Amino acid sequence: MKRTYEEINQKIKSGDAVVLTAEEVIAIVDRDGIEKATKEVDVVTTGTFGAMCSSGAFINFGHSEPPIKMSKVWLNDVPAYTGLAAVDAYIGAAELREDGDMSYGGAHVIEDLIARKPVRLRATAYGTDCYPRKEIDTYISLSTVNQAYMYNPRNAYQNYGVATNSSERTLFTYMGKLLPKYGNATYSSAGQLSPLLKDPHLRTIGIGTRIFLGGAQGYVSWEGTQYRTTAAERNGVPTGASRNLAVVGDLRDMSTDFVRALVFNKYGTSLGVGVGVPIPILDEDMMRCVSIKDEDIFAPVLDYAVQSRGRKPFHEVSYSELRSGSIEIAGKKVRTSSLSSYAKAKLIAETLKRSIQQGEFLLTEKVASLPEDQTQKNLDLHSREEVS
Amino acid sequence: MTIKKFLLTFTPDNVSEPVTYRLVKEFDVMINILRAEVDEQGGRLMIAMEGSGMQIDRAVKYLESSNVQVQELKEFIRKDDLRCTNCGACVSICPVRAFVMDSKSFKVSFLNEKCIACGMCVDACPPGAIRLRAQL
Repeated sequence: MKRTYEEINQKIKSGDAVVLTAEEVIAIVDRDGIEKATKEVDVVTTGTFGAMCSSGAFINFGHSEPPIKMSKVWLNDVPAYTGLAAVDAYIGAAELREDGDMSYGGAHVIEDLIARKPVRLRATAYGTDCYPRKEIDTYISLSTVNQAYMYNPRNAYQNYGVATNSSERTLFTYMGKLLPKYGNATYSSAGQLSPLLKDPHLRTIGIGTRIFLGGAQGYVSWEGTQYRTTAAERNGVPTGASRNLAVVGDLRDMSTDFVRALVFNKYGTSLGVGVGVPIPILDEDMMRCVSIKDEDIFAPVLDYAVQSRGRKPFHEVSYSELRSGSIEIAGKKVRTSSLSSYAKAKLIAETLKRSIQQGEFLLTEKVASLPEDQTQKNLDLHSREEVS
Repeated sequence: MTIKKFLLTFTPDNVSEPVTYRLVKEFDVMINILRAEVDEQGGRLMIAMEGSGMQIDRAVKYLESSNVQVQELKEFIRKDDLRCTNCGACVSICPVRAFVMDSKSFKVSFLNEKCIACGMCVDACPPGAIRLRAQL
């Protein structure tokens, strides 16, 4: 049984495509088996909604009168990067205000823009013959700017480690508040709904793949930063952080239901981003991949009290164990918390399913594949000679 | 039997009054001290009181007659359901399991009656959906 993108898109256009979420398809495969399910189902939708720090947005503010070549930019007092053309800037989700306040950052600016709220723009410049103006203080909104598009260099991680804390004090991390002496454990993957766990070697996901991004139709633009293919696998999927995506999409089409500013106390800000990827059921192999369940997907448990990049995992636990509310670590029953929202992941997969059923979302074949063999390098102290 | 939670405020004059002892000994109510603090302004004591309705009423009257300011606490924290993303970060933080992740809908509900106002959830909530209503 083989199916092409053309056939699938033809069925989507005529309203005949059979679309299931990655959760629904598990029950169908359990009931009917791979062969029958492959014949029946055209597309499976996935979803994830989690803290994705490597997110941000490019904005072009338009030219002032007289014009300015901005050299420093603040949006609601949060610095944005403007080492680009005159009125272009990039606001990163993890950027904080300069007074050290962690309660409002770039992520909040992005959420405020999507919520159609006014945002204060301040900029300074050194002044040139072509751009004489040296400062500006005004308000912008999503409707006053020329472009505002999200460009996230690292989203939708394929699996991620579970965090716990063996130390005597509470740790405040990007994996949330970790209570002392294995007081809790946090994890952050949608597991059986997560896009890259359902097409583990990215056979159908690559550059140009149309995706659900923050409520808009976005695209995979590149491999994500720290993309690696070398993680150990179990049941055909990586255990631990592996591949991820760089994605792009228009802020104007997004919704605060799927883009949410987050604060990790004493760590900083991050952006909750909703990503969904439709997976075409090209053949039985594809169906086998998308029907993997939480009980067969494993993640390593890491001790964040070890302040090193080389943390050795305690052991691996499955997502069904994690979702049960507790896991065992060092002989102790430890309560678990998810940091990514499974409820929103489900909602994203269902929303994407509906868009496809209604013919509003067509599938795209990737333009180029993401790397099949790639390691992740470390940053070490080197002399000039060592790196030349 | 009912359980009610109260914030008792003491002036510097009556901080040395052994009220919890009297409440237990003379009014036969079960007292669970949730939080306590004494400073220049006097003292604040957050308690859960368990007993019959009549016993609790009598205990409160005694406290008021001893010039202790009594405020019943019905809502310690509030979860903004629009802000909440139902991630579940709060679930493993809460020492008394007042946050529950539903195993079907995967939504988080807050059980007010369990809450002891420790406030540990407030800074553990990434979208900032949890606010403390009553504070010592």
